[in-house]
Amino acid sequence: MPRSLEDVVHFYLPEVEGPSSAQRRAKVSAHTIVGVPIGDSDVVRAAFVWNLAVEISRAGASATVLAPAAGDTASLWPDPGRGPMGSELVLTFADGMGDLAHAAVDLAQTRAAESPAGPGLVLVRLPPAWLPKAADAGALLARVLLFTSPDTRDLVETYALVKRVVSVAPGSTIGITVHGVRSVGEARGAFSRLAAASERHLFRALVSYGLIVDDLHVYRSILNRHAVGLAHPQAAASRSIGEVAQLLLGDLAEEADRG
Amino acid sequence: MAELQLVGSLPRAELHERVRARMAEFGGALRVIAEDLLGADTTIDWIAVDVQGQVAVVLLGQAGRELELIATGLAQRAWVSARLKDWLQLAPNLGLQPEAKVRLLLIGTAFDGTARQAAEALGEAVELWTHRCVRNGAGVDVLLERATGPASSGPRSRLPASPPISAFRSNLSDPQLGLSAAERAEFEGS
Repeated sequence: MPRSLEDVVHFYLPEVEGPSSAQRRAKVSAHTIVGVPIGDSDVVRAAFVWNLAVEISRAGASATVLAPAAGDTASLWPDPGRGPMGSELVLTFADGMGDLAHAAVDLAQTRAAESPAGPGLVLVRLPPAWLPKAADAGALLARVLLFTSPDTRDLVETYALVKRVVSVAPGSTIGITVHGVRSVGEARGAFSRLAAASERHLFRALVSYGLIVDDLHVYRSILNRHAVGLAHPQAAASRSIGEVAQLLLGDLAEEADRG
Repeated sequence: MAELQLVGSLPRAELHERVRARMAEFGGALRVIAEDLLGADTTIDWIAVDVQGQVAVVLLGQAGRELELIATGLAQRAWVSARLKDWLQLAPNLGLQPEAKVRLLLIGTAFDGTARQAAEALGEAVELWTHRCVRNGAGVDVLLERATGPASSGPRSRLPASPPISAFRSNLSDPQLGLSAAERAEFEGS
């Protein structure tokens, strides 16, 4: 696929932030960046993100996971590089939200240049400790995905995260996936509680991105580093993660249609 | 200037009084023609008429019973609609337009996605409004916000735009989750 010099020149020239740089970034198409807050030892959410990337790839879109290389990445992620179905894990030496945002934007533009015809997502792990210093990281917070269980304490923590994101990125679109549920009604109830609190106190709607069922296959996947959708494609967990991927891609397609 | 502060709900009588004082915010320059009227089994908080003669049924709900409020509202609207021609004969000076669809204004503390979808499915003449109580210095005021319904031609609430809707999304069903009733029962109560 032919690429213009403009697509790659920013890899070789120092970045000069200013109107010309901003205009160039605006002109270059990019895959959608989704920020996902994941704690330093949160293997469950990391596994969800990794499995979600695989399901997005399986649906025919490009999916890349970008995570800071600092800390114990070995416990959170499989080996970096290309993985199942073409999904990809990239580690970055960014040590703050600003650097992470630059890395994410570059990656989103590069992957879009590689597959300009198709949709694509860059899922970025956001260390929660970095969020308070996110003033220069708007690209990471324009769209955020949060995973919460129906547990009240988890809902409160997730609400606090919503509030923090809204405070630093008021225009952010915040998605919620409810995990660890045993019924659709349980997921709906948890989402409704969170959404009601957000609407009442923050004047913010939340976007539902389905559920992930409480399934032993998910935990086996975490331990074995196998994508659950590939190891057990008929499992309930695979179906539910696949639906999360479809909801995300469906929203991207709608936004693209709206221009 | 005193700091505004959200407070919990007021006693019903006080809330009733304050909402009535803000009737103009519902648009259409509503004029109350009946209050606390016994309708279909329960009391109708207000029946009002606008400048065009369109009648409105206004009900003040209770927290956590929003779906019940919608059902009650439909029953009360039907009850009122069936009597409009009689009322017009009894009080022609009210200027009622019995042919016009009766507006149904339902006021609650919050409406979840199900309630909003239900109201929207019922059509334009059903409006959901939320109320919130705000302490302003020594006094408490009630602020009304449109939750669903057609755009108002009258004055709008002083608060920011009404909260947007967050609706849960999933096309999965419980059988697709693959957990049997026996498996689910293992976890119930845990």
